[in-house]
Amino acid sequence: MLSRTATASLSVSAVSANPSKSFFFRTSKFLGLNCNFSFAAAAATNPLPNFAGLSWNSRRSSGMSKMNGFTTRASAQPLKNADELIDSVETFIFDCDGVIWKGDKLIDGVPATLDMLRSKGKRLVFVTNNSTKSRKQYGKKFETLGLNVNEEEIFASSFAAAAYLKSINFPKDKKVYVIGEDGILKELELAGFQYLGGPEDGDKKIELKPGFLMEHDENVGAVVVGFDRYFNYYKVQYGTLCIRENPGCLFIATNRDAVTHLTDAQEWAGGGSMVGALCGSTQREPLVVGKPSTFMMDYLATKFGITKSQICMVGDRLDTDILFGQNGGCKTLLVLSGVTSLSMLQNPNNSIQPDFYTNKISDFLSLKAATV
Amino acid sequence: MNSATANASSSQRLSAQNLQALLDSVDAFLFDCDGVIWKGDVLIDGVAQTLDMLRSKEKKLAFITNNSTKSRRQNAEKFCSLGISVTEDEIFTSSFAAAMFLKVNNFPQDKKVYVIGGEGILEELQLAGFAGLGGPEDGKKTAQLKANCLFEHDKNVGAVVVGIDPHINYYKLQYGTLCIRENPGCLFIATNRDAVGHMTNLQEWPGAGCMVAAICGSTEKEPILVGKPSTFMMDFLLQKFDISCSRMCMVGDRLDTDILFGQNAGCKTLLVLSGVTNLPTLQDPSNKIQPDYYTSKVSDILEFMGP
Repeated sequence: MLSRTATASLSVSAVSANPSKSFFFRTSKFLGLNCNFSFAAAAATNPLPNFAGLSWNSRRSSGMSKMNGFTTRASAQPLKNADELIDSVETFIFDCDGVIWKGDKLIDGVPATLDMLRSKGKRLVFVTNNSTKSRKQYGKKFETLGLNVNEEEIFASSFAAAAYLKSINFPKDKKVYVIGEDGILKELELAGFQYLGGPEDGDKKIELKPGFLMEHDENVGAVVVGFDRYFNYYKVQYGTLCIRENPGCLFIATNRDAVTHLTDAQEWAGGGSMVGALCGSTQREPLVVGKPSTFMMDYLATKFGITKSQICMVGDRLDTDILFGQNGGCKTLLVLSGVTSLSMLQNPNNSIQPDFYTNKISDFLSLKAATV
Repeated sequence: MNSATANASSSQRLSAQNLQALLDSVDAFLFDCDGVIWKGDVLIDGVAQTLDMLRSKEKKLAFITNNSTKSRRQNAEKFCSLGISVTEDEIFTSSFAAAMFLKVNNFPQDKKVYVIGGEGILEELQLAGFAGLGGPEDGKKTAQLKANCLFEHDKNVGAVVVGIDPHINYYKLQYGTLCIRENPGCLFIATNRDAVGHMTNLQEWPGAGCMVAAICGSTEKEPILVGKPSTFMMDFLLQKFDISCSRMCMVGDRLDTDILFGQNAGCKTLLVLSGVTNLPTLQDPSNKIQPDYYTSKVSDILEFMGP
């Protein structure tokens, strides 16, 4: 039987033993610290080595203690001197939904803003938790909207899942079961991994009758869960069987966003829902590769050779984008063009304070010193 | 033999030696159903005879199930089809519990209830006089994720009830999510949170815990729990039986619902190993829930009685 020892910091056992409404618990879940699978069992039964991931677990735990109230952050400042912020960093990481676009509509002033930043020699990177598309597909979306962005500058959580499996040398003879959409499948394929599931399992039905047994591939070594509009009971059962019965099987979440702006008109139940479902049936917590986990931050810092203090994270969501930036040790700028309003930022119940906030990224063009 | 038996507070194996003491100390037996009485639609061996014996000894019987797919009436029909005579009022389902929760809390009759779950919940709501939406037929609906399509939801929904739902889909997740996030004061009620259960006799399947956690994930709220291990249903049992909880024995196959329910209510507890829990799990050092007794299956009660 697979033993379930936590792998990360001391805060884990207290948190996982007592799920509560506390914000602390929700954020620690987002960090994927409650990894309940045993590497020892995994190593013994299948050749997945203890991986570099352990080192980013412990870095995140020090990030955790800061959020724990040991260090109190000052309240967010309205952005007044945009040039000062721009000059102080070398790289801007942008979230997409609610920052660059809303649904399929570009937010005002974005193209000119990105051009200005590039003209100042800034590196631009786009990090999105939306796992429905691959980097290539996102590249096309940027192109359609008239933005000059290279595929290599885009990091979606679909890519992150594949990159994570690569980083731990996930064996090529093992399979990945996917509860999620095309983007994840494409990225797994590009990385050379075999996968099962995805959108076509949305058509599969089950009949709960005497004598009916659902089989599952014993060669599945990882279940990747992300946003899935074709979600159904077949997929939940398949994923649950793999995680519970295949020794060492990993449970990976692309992201845990509660809601997401898939259309610009309203919120939609997000990846947090599908991931929650699998947590409920397996009683395990996943490894989260998307924001606010710093996996993608570490990945691109290594890839581009950037120092984290030279980065400014720009996003519209406190518990993913801003937390991601803070966990990574970057500067953080909240834009109010997406899901977060000023009153939400200033609500006494909110403990996530970005360094700065502003209405939208095109404020970079309009805000100069001593204005507002 | 193992460290668990050395612990004074750990579970005793039921045997011919200690059975009589248990029977003498208990006036009512409360049985879980899945994994105790039946597995899927297959009756577990010896159950019918054991229940007959207990009735002949004037023990009161009640059946308390977290499975919300059926109403009390539908469960009575299932018992009947398996050759066991049980009356509707001896059955307490989490679907019934959800409807009763709304009743005792004066849920307004002009408000609606959105159901992510089975017919059983809709039937119990209707019996209690409430208007239910959703349920199995929403399993056929799809959500249009397109630029000019607005996903509408009834602003009059005052509660979302979530139970096990083999027809779970994105439409239901989105509907329930919008109700809870946008309708002021909307309640989020879980019939139960069992992770898995024997929906068929051959294997375990994801339980209500899955659907409930999905909604927790999208709403960032925790639900009101009406099924085991919450003792909410015990109030209704006490209305039916004029017996003190200490003279009741809860018989179940799951530690974190059945046995915890029994312990929370002050009953004696008997774990059967015919369902989701095996002996290693009971005896694992990380398991903190120790029933008073454990045995392989319900019919052991009959067997240990002897001639």
